[in-house]
Amino acid sequence: MNLFALNLVLAFVWALATGSLSEVNLVVGFLVGMAVLHVVGGALGDTRYAVRFFRAVGLAGFFLFELAMSSVRVAIDVLKPEMTMTPAVIAVPLDVRSDAEITLLANLISLTPGTLSLDVAADKSCLYVHAMYGDDPEAVADEIKRSFERRIQAVFR
Amino acid sequence: MAAFLAFSAQAALLAVAVAVFMAFYRIARGPSLPDRVMGLDMIGLMSVSVVALVAIATGQEVLLDAALAMALVSFLGTVAFSRFIERRGRRKE
Amino acid sequence: MSDLIAALALWTGAFFLIVSGLGAVRFPDLFMRMHAGTKAGTLGAGLILLGAAVEFGSVGVATKASLTFAFLLLTAPVAAHVLGRAAYYDGTEIWERTRSDALRGKYDHGWRSDGDDGASPPRPSAAGPNDGGG
Repeated sequence: MNLFALNLVLAFVWALATGSLSEVNLVVGFLVGMAVLHVVGGALGDTRYAVRFFRAVGLAGFFLFELAMSSVRVAIDVLKPEMTMTPAVIAVPLDVRSDAEITLLANLISLTPGTLSLDVAADKSCLYVHAMYGDDPEAVADEIKRSFERRIQAVFR
Repeated sequence: MAAFLAFSAQAALLAVAVAVFMAFYRIARGPSLPDRVMGLDMIGLMSVSVVALVAIATGQEVLLDAALAMALVSFLGTVAFSRFIERRGRRKE
Repeated sequence: MSDLIAALALWTGAFFLIVSGLGAVRFPDLFMRMHAGTKAGTLGAGLILLGAAVEFGSVGVATKASLTFAFLLLTAPVAAHVLGRAAYYDGTEIWERTRSDALRGKYDHGWRSDGDDGASPPRPSAAGPNDGGG
């Protein structure tokens, strides 16, 4: 992701070159810099910078939506007079391997519907998750792998 | 309309006060140490909101700097307590 | 108009903070309480910050508010994760209606013999083939 830092520097330089550090100039500089990096990226070891950038933005948007949904579900659970939750501690097998990816995944899991990450196995082969609705542990694990893990992989590779 | 916003800020402050009170209940009640630490953590989160609400109610946008600092720092206490709990768990057997 | 949006954000934010407080009071075990505290609490604080950003309406305040929200998003799950793990390791009681517990017996309590000073966090062993399905 150090191309992103370079992109920020380029935006700053663009704003300086145009003579005023206004927000519009910074945004335009960022977009121009992104286009340049997307084209030149091959020489810097990253051929699809812009694609990955917009996937990261998409992941952030999806994540905010999930955060809202999970809060609504918690609100429903809290306000229901009787406790109908079926909690369970579930082992989710991991496909992502690097520490950065696992950290991101664990953080995202903690803020999405019904799941809270507890620990990673010593050999990083699976993530232990506390789920509010754990009737079907495999379904919960599948859901996590389908929604988040794949998107994280798309951003990091 | 501005009056309605001021009223909303006051009402939200009252609501957050109630929420802080409920977190206090968890701190007082326990039953375990992690429960109490969780109550403290929630109060840290709520105090960020309180500072933001006071900033709206008084029109002092400088207060948001305080909220920023609190958001950064409040979790450190939880982490320190957790390490303590973890080491205590080790000595059990 | 912006006043209305700000007020709406404040109301919903306050609602979610109350939900997180109610969850802390009502839910039967620590882990479920943490669900309420991290999710609803973070969203509530974020909505109130959004209200502040809309109300002041300047780019500087908006940047500050979104930076604060970003820090909350970074720190809240970390705090929950560290505390949840420590609590499980410490043997905090888990609700009796919990369906399955894949972590049970995965921790090695006690001190290792190889000069272990307790500084490195304990790690559970990997899940076996029978642990996944409750």
